[in-house]
Amino acid sequence: MNARTSILTALLAGVVFILSINCTPCYGGQRSVGAADDDTDEYSHAASIADPIEPVNRGTFWLNHQLYRYILKPLSKAYDAVLPSPVRRGIFNAFDNVEYPDRVVNDVLQWKLKRAGYESEKFVLNTVAGVGGIFKVSDHIPSLVDLPRPDTGQTFGKWGIGHGAYVVLPVFGPKSVRDTVGFAGDIALNPLFWLAFWFPSTAWLPAVSATDSARTLHDKLKAYDATTANTLDRYLAIRSAYVQNRQQAVSK
Amino acid sequence: MNSRPLLILMLLGSLLTIPRAICSPTEEADNRLKKAVGEVVAIAAHAPDRKTLSEQVKPVLEGILSFETMTRRAIGPGWRQFTPAQQQEATGLFTTLIIRTYTAKFTPGELPVETFKTASTPSPGRVEVPTTSSYNGSSYDVVYRLEESEGWKITDVVIEGVSMIANYRTQFDAEFTQGGANAVIKALNHSLSSSQ
Repeated sequence: MNARTSILTALLAGVVFILSINCTPCYGGQRSVGAADDDTDEYSHAASIADPIEPVNRGTFWLNHQLYRYILKPLSKAYDAVLPSPVRRGIFNAFDNVEYPDRVVNDVLQWKLKRAGYESEKFVLNTVAGVGGIFKVSDHIPSLVDLPRPDTGQTFGKWGIGHGAYVVLPVFGPKSVRDTVGFAGDIALNPLFWLAFWFPSTAWLPAVSATDSARTLHDKLKAYDATTANTLDRYLAIRSAYVQNRQQAVSK
Repeated sequence: MNSRPLLILMLLGSLLTIPRAICSPTEEADNRLKKAVGEVVAIAAHAPDRKTLSEQVKPVLEGILSFETMTRRAIGPGWRQFTPAQQQEATGLFTTLIIRTYTAKFTPGELPVETFKTASTPSPGRVEVPTTSSYNGSSYDVVYRLEESEGWKITDVVIEGVSMIANYRTQFDAEFTQGGANAVIKALNHSLSSSQ
């Protein structure tokens, strides 16, 4: 009887020990973070970027803001009003399909060979079954939906190259020195750019198709409005959003 | 007498399962977030305009957002130099700004598709819930950061890698450096009046 009681007591003690381990996150993990702890808290810090030519950047930013507000926004609204949504989607898809070399080259440069394979599969499928990419047939195949969209600036980041200084480009907006060079690389990897290079009459094609162009204007203006609404300083808000967003792109 | 050990084992077994059900912080935080986001989405779908949307979601967000933590972290080290009255005023103003910023991601009258992914626990007392929000073919990633302090509450919302708190901190830092607590409060007042 005594032996049995001892075994039961030991069992109970074991159970209490196991329970205390199980409950640690619940009862022992509650945080009580004060102002002093915030200084070292990981949630209180975010990526930053050097901005040695801030006055110049602020000037360009102001000009871009007027351009977005008085020219590009009305143009975007007119584009949305004139073309029905399925037509806009078809145009977007076709140009997106043409940018395949940019994506696949950067996938390979980032050593994402499996993703490069998916990207190639997607391109062939959409080109053949999707009538030149107008219809995104690949959306019906789970492995080809939502493939990350690499770019050359992101590749440089993955290679360990830092941002360098922050620059605001006329029309194109926020960039870092690294991403400006990357942006030039993206243009060079766009087949339509070379078509326009050899046949100047088609110069409008890359202007419409390239990343950071008319094709993505609607979404970019929407993102710009969302980021600059309810801010104390819209220039700083955009700079912070840009560098955080790019840091996420590089870490993906 | 023979059935006693069996009974005790059954009792112990049930004891083992009960705390597991209670002690799942990730699940608890996840459920709380899903409920709150569900309520906000339902309000957004029927709201006629943005002003009504902000007014109607306010009680829901007041229950799930930790405004004091968010304000303190957004202001940063300068927070300690605020008087209690200034801290209270800044928290009140920033609360309105946070509600407006968060509701800006919803379009009144439209029903977004919110997809919740597997939540993670980066450290004890913290849960991150990744989600995807889709509107008319466009989708973006939103990560909710929740912390346990008098229940699970959101302390930051990260949209496409952009932390709401870090973004505001950059702006508050500049104001604080220029003119201290008064400059921050003045800038908050200005932002609220200009974005109405």
